[in-house]
Amino acid sequence: MLRILLINDTPKKVGRLKAALTEAGFEVIDESGLIIDLPARVQAVRPDVILIDTESPGRDVLEQVVLVTRDLPRPIVMFTDEHDPGVMRQAIKSGVSAYIVEGIHAQRLQPILDVAMARFESDQDLRAQLHARDQQLAERKRIETAKGLLMKMKQCNEEEAYTLMRRQAMSRQQKLIQVAEQIIAMSELLG
Amino acid sequence: MNDSLTPSLAWVNGSDAPELTSVDLGFMALTDSASLIVAATQGFAQPYGLHINLHRQSSWANLRDKLVSGELHAAHSLYGLVYAVQLGLAGPAKHMAVLMGLNQNGQSINLSRSLQQAGVTTPDALDRRTHQSDSKLTFAQTFPTGNHALWLYYWLASQGIHPLRDVDSVVVPPPQMVEHLQAGRIDGFCVGEPWGASAVQQNLGFTLATSQAIWPDHPEKVLACSAEFAGQYPNTARALVMAVLEASRFIEESADNRRSTAQLLSAAEYVNAPVGAIESRLLGEYDDGLGNRWHDHHAIRFHGDGQVNMPWLSDGMWFMTQFRRWGLLREDPDYLGVARSVQQLGLYREAAEALGIAVPPSPMRSSQLIDGKIWDGSDPARYARSFKLHALADAALVHADR
Repeated sequence: MLRILLINDTPKKVGRLKAALTEAGFEVIDESGLIIDLPARVQAVRPDVILIDTESPGRDVLEQVVLVTRDLPRPIVMFTDEHDPGVMRQAIKSGVSAYIVEGIHAQRLQPILDVAMARFESDQDLRAQLHARDQQLAERKRIETAKGLLMKMKQCNEEEAYTLMRRQAMSRQQKLIQVAEQIIAMSELLG
Repeated sequence: MNDSLTPSLAWVNGSDAPELTSVDLGFMALTDSASLIVAATQGFAQPYGLHINLHRQSSWANLRDKLVSGELHAAHSLYGLVYAVQLGLAGPAKHMAVLMGLNQNGQSINLSRSLQQAGVTTPDALDRRTHQSDSKLTFAQTFPTGNHALWLYYWLASQGIHPLRDVDSVVVPPPQMVEHLQAGRIDGFCVGEPWGASAVQQNLGFTLATSQAIWPDHPEKVLACSAEFAGQYPNTARALVMAVLEASRFIEESADNRRSTAQLLSAAEYVNAPVGAIESRLLGEYDDGLGNRWHDHHAIRFHGDGQVNMPWLSDGMWFMTQFRRWGLLREDPDYLGVARSVQQLGLYREAAEALGIAVPPSPMRSSQLIDGKIWDGSDPARYARSFKLHALADAALVHADR
């Protein structure tokens, strides 16, 4: 069964979602008001999905969403009365997987959660690929920098510099990037 | 940053950019995984916007399962493994793709020290031992339909020993061969280096025959993936081939590069064997453990100006002829049709041409094997039936011409 963390950011003591969720057969493992450290709550209760019930998501709500998305990514569904497309864009940008305006019906919850989970998974794949790409580019730049330094130091051409670096790396059972970092560090030390 | 970086960045962002930027690549602890390990660790993939994650596998069966399930995107593979999966010989069939050849040569048949002490140090002596003794010898290879089974069978048959009747065969993962030999559980084995050299150096056995003595410049390991993967991520597949082609070329550029390659391979996370066991045969320096030393002119090679990397149709077809010969295929497959669907000639051509590596005009090559037979891919069904020793299921129809 899905473990749901429910965040009630409405003036009501008991939010409207809890009853609908229970009726639809979901397990709400925790219900908190907004004045919390959301990443800490996520860390503690390890929910499968986070539902936020809010009349209108303010800056502090979205900040919490950004923090969770960065540190402990989870599907986040936001139920709200806020129609403003600008606010909706802000929410999606912060990491909300589904933004639902009005109308909380028990029978609609399952498909909404399914869509949110699927959307979240594809976002995560994309994020991982982008992260890998950023890392490759960063590594490539460091290797290029080291190659340039070596060409100057050894008065050699590009291909010779690469070969020297690779031979050094391989003889030490290291990766090329490790030798590149050593060359850069040494060059910084020697000024 | 600097000028030379700009073109590759543009390339990454262009339409040829890999659809999948991070590739999970399987390999076995063998010298012939070298080009993959060098490509992944020495910055050959980054310029193509590709990151290669290496995953060492404990056995060929394990590697096969993960390649079929998709847990591995691509892998260091045996020709015999890829075609067995394609034809559904060992479990469910799956369409496979051979992206490029990784190496030629560099395997060997080795016998135990106790056979050596009993005077079994020549093919003739082995022939006498297998035909005049009641107890069968046990030979290990690495995968039921794999290259090593087929090299072992081919060599034994060329010496008049029937591999399925006169000896017993067992499957042992490459890194465990020496241990099994030492424990006396097997009398000999056929495997990729460095495990033959390792047995010799530990004085546990000797090399009776190299695979290149069976077939000089024979096809060996390939870079393989499922046909589905190659179809879904063609840019990733091409980028991977280009990175591995460049690494292959780099390894063969100088003896120093080959030596550094041996040092890298010996690391615990790759082949995990002493550099001495890897380096000698990687450089072509052979010592068979019987006092014979030579420089081998058909030692392991990774590039050969592209001759090694070309996914020859005739190479793929040869493995099917041997499946047929030994009864693993009960009927002739569409040799050429199957090879055409598995060997990714078009993709290889694009990758090789982009790097200025010559692509041979014909997808067939001609070779003479140890028994004097010529294999050129021209009549595979006839070739498969042409052997004196065989296990053809429909033996009545055979017209052995030898």
